[in-house]
Amino acid sequence: MRNTTTGWLLIAPTLFILFITGMVPFLYVLAVGFLDWNTFAANPEPRFAGVDNFRRLVFDAAFLKSLWLTFKFTLFVLASQLIIGFFLAKMLMRNVPLKGLFRTVHTLPLMIAPIAVGATWRLMTVPGLGPIPHWMQQWFDISYVLSRFPDQAFATVVIMDIWHWTPLVTLTLMAGLSNLPEEPLEQARIDGAGEWRIFWDITLPFLKPVLLTTIFIRLMDALRTVDEVWMLTGGGPGAETRFIGLHIWRVVFPKTDYGYGAAMSLITLYLTIVMCWLLYVAMTGMKEKSR
Amino acid sequence: MAERNGFLPIRTNTFDRVFISVVLFIAISLFWMRFLEPHAPLWVSTLLSAILGQWIIRKG
Repeated sequence: MRNTTTGWLLIAPTLFILFITGMVPFLYVLAVGFLDWNTFAANPEPRFAGVDNFRRLVFDAAFLKSLWLTFKFTLFVLASQLIIGFFLAKMLMRNVPLKGLFRTVHTLPLMIAPIAVGATWRLMTVPGLGPIPHWMQQWFDISYVLSRFPDQAFATVVIMDIWHWTPLVTLTLMAGLSNLPEEPLEQARIDGAGEWRIFWDITLPFLKPVLLTTIFIRLMDALRTVDEVWMLTGGGPGAETRFIGLHIWRVVFPKTDYGYGAAMSLITLYLTIVMCWLLYVAMTGMKEKSR
Repeated sequence: MAERNGFLPIRTNTFDRVFISVVLFIAISLFWMRFLEPHAPLWVSTLLSAILGQWIIRKG
């Protein structure tokens, strides 16, 4: 009993800080989500609006479009980063020449602030200034103008995110791969199992906790991507790369529609939690009922 | 919290069932506002969600 009390006393400061920094802002946003509060409106005072913000939200084509774009972006970057990150991790686990150098260079993008990544890619993709439009024209005869072609803008944002965050996936998967037990792998090889079979039946199940953590981190990051995209495309052309974070920013700051912005934030949080939970259930095999 | 097997396809504890109920409550309310509110008021959805939530918490 004494140990339990001591334990609670020891973690009490952490719990208190977590409550102040995590729960209080959440509860505040939750409350604001039910208010009609726009400082530029005829009546700038906040007033209770019930579920009006949420009712407005489910018919808001711009919000639904930004939500769809965010999911599309998340799907592309997550799948690409997992596949590329896994192959890079496998490669860097082997004794290849200049392994240390490649590992360091590969990790460099992680150290760059997202805003700087966006600025760098912006400089590389500005027609008449950056090298990418020049090369695209010279080598493939493609007119590469991000501010004109939505597909190019979306693809570039995806590639930029893959470039920036794949090293994180590589590092976590390398940590997972280095902790794989040797015995089952050796036994499978002795029994004549192929590489695919070993990967599917041994490597993947052992990597599941690391994979789950990596997917969660990247999923949540991808769903709230703002700064890189803001610097590279500004959400354009039109609203073709205006992901949900950017959309909420536009509603909350330039338009000062705090209640509606809070409602959008809450729905985004809701969708993020549901997606993570579904993923967790699917990957941890909670479906298996005990008999 | 003790886990148990109910009608849900997964083993759940009380927190899981409350969580699933809240998730469904929000999803049903949003769906209702988008598609069904011209035909039936929102309190119908709240009532249905409350019944569903209680069923999930008790039997899920």
